[in-house]
Amino acid sequence: MTAEQLTETAALALVRRSEPAAAGQDYYGLPMLKRPLWGWEIALYFFGEGISSGAYVLATAADFFGGPGYRRFIRVARILSLATMMPCPPLLIADLGRPERFIHMLRVFKPSSPMNLGAWALMGFGIPVTLLGVAPWVGVRLPVRLISLLGLPPALIMMSYPGVLLSTTSVPLWMHTRMLGALLASSSMVTSAAALALVSAIHPFMDQRAREAMRQIEKSAHICEAVTMAAFLIRGRRVATPLTRGRQSRLFWYGAVGCGLVLPWLINRAQGKKAGRGSTIASALLTLAGGLALKWSIVHAGHESALDGDANRCVTRATEANPGWMRH
Amino acid sequence: MNPEILDVWKRPLAPEPREEMGFFTDTTLCIGCKACEVACKQWNQLPADGFQWTGMSYDNTAMLNSVTWRHVAFVEQFDGDGRQPRWLMMSDVCKHCVQAPCQEACPTGSLIYNEFGDVYVQEDVCNGCAYCVAACPFGVLDRNAEDGRAHKCTLCYDRQKDGMTPACAKSCPTESIQFGPVSELRERAERRVAELHARGETDAYLYGAEPSGEYSALNAFFLLKDHPNVYNLPEAPRRPSAHLKKNYLASFAVTLAMAAVSAICFARKAR
Repeated sequence: MTAEQLTETAALALVRRSEPAAAGQDYYGLPMLKRPLWGWEIALYFFGEGISSGAYVLATAADFFGGPGYRRFIRVARILSLATMMPCPPLLIADLGRPERFIHMLRVFKPSSPMNLGAWALMGFGIPVTLLGVAPWVGVRLPVRLISLLGLPPALIMMSYPGVLLSTTSVPLWMHTRMLGALLASSSMVTSAAALALVSAIHPFMDQRAREAMRQIEKSAHICEAVTMAAFLIRGRRVATPLTRGRQSRLFWYGAVGCGLVLPWLINRAQGKKAGRGSTIASALLTLAGGLALKWSIVHAGHESALDGDANRCVTRATEANPGWMRH
Repeated sequence: MNPEILDVWKRPLAPEPREEMGFFTDTTLCIGCKACEVACKQWNQLPADGFQWTGMSYDNTAMLNSVTWRHVAFVEQFDGDGRQPRWLMMSDVCKHCVQAPCQEACPTGSLIYNEFGDVYVQEDVCNGCAYCVAACPFGVLDRNAEDGRAHKCTLCYDRQKDGMTPACAKSCPTESIQFGPVSELRERAERRVAELHARGETDAYLYGAEPSGEYSALNAFFLLKDHPNVYNLPEAPRRPSAHLKKNYLASFAVTLAMAAVSAICFARKAR
């Protein structure tokens, strides 16, 4: 750490303390934890891989349960899945301190590290998604259904692991509640459904039935997202303040909640079942922006949370189950 | 091909496990001379982290980081009229947790327990993903901006291999930092606490000498005289992976439920 970084860390800690510790019960306001170093690359990665894995799951579900009417839908969903998967490995590699050593992630298989599991899942997901995405254009006949089944478990892992990865840290905001996995997973489902609706509005590949199915899916995932978000905020309370009142709060409230949940809900309510093209596009764009805002604000609010000494003292208070070592 | 790339994939036989070695840092003996900080920097050839005053106390190091592996904390306490000041000094270091969150988080297997039971970063493997930085509940690990890897106290692995005492313990003039087999250190530490209690210093206690709740014991443990927060230590550290299985399960359950809902929606609108 350079002198400038050190000073910045200390200054931030002094400035951003929202509730002062009891007199003499802290160490000159310095943070206990180090700032997590994940930034925009990881926020964008979570957004991209969410759409990609969600679209893959939707394509596979339509393939096995939707019948022959969904052929075009499946094809577009798989292309979308491939397109959004492509920037993911470069983003992850760019985030490393030693990018040329990215392959060391696959040196061991270690599910106790969600990041290791994620690296393997991205590997196991990337191959089938590439094969299925390019299948329509190559002359070779591929066992499409078998490949899509093989890619399903890694796709489900890709959807569910980002929140678990963040939870398995000491950052108060991320580790305090167990909702983060479910919250980010439902956001992934919502954004992939919105991305498909957007593509369909521009280049109509979905018929009436497919559109109705997608609307139901998006609606149920939206409800799931709203419920997990409410639970996350209520359980988080004091610890969630970097998100609700900190520097990310505007992005969180206006972006993730306003654009991502409230406005699409209002638009869909006003339009009913016969949604016009314009309102579909608007709703999909708002939902996508909201999903990005959610992941962006949660990743970045983690920095503020780690430097928030009071939040950390709060979550590491001795409890009966975890009494610590001080006996007086 | 770069031979370094191949080296990290080779699996030589692990060294024979040896007796667990660790630190017992008795803060009641610390005089704040910072010899440990200097010895650590010199032995491990760590660069200086800037010449600057924090302006808050004699502590101008402020915190552990990627190039500072010992940090002497200066706690100044005054009672009401300021006539009876108390100074608490503590040489902070990586705690070498018996079950270390950084080791559990590390996706490359760079972080290991070495044959002395200490937590060690294999620098030829580390790719700078920074998961250990976010995982450590004590804020010990940090990624170095210049070389892009995580660094922390090695408990002088190189010196230990040659049967030598780590540099900080060797240089400590008051034996505030004691090095040795962990079981022996624990006995010694308990005797010291009993001795202090007998003298009327009943606020002395051991921080990390044994497992507590969800957190493991620390192979570098401390004798403290005040609340852990006063030394910038967590009162009861949480193990990030304590709820890993439940987190995975909850997240998978929601994901599977959403997949099932989409399958039902497609089936209902099938043709």
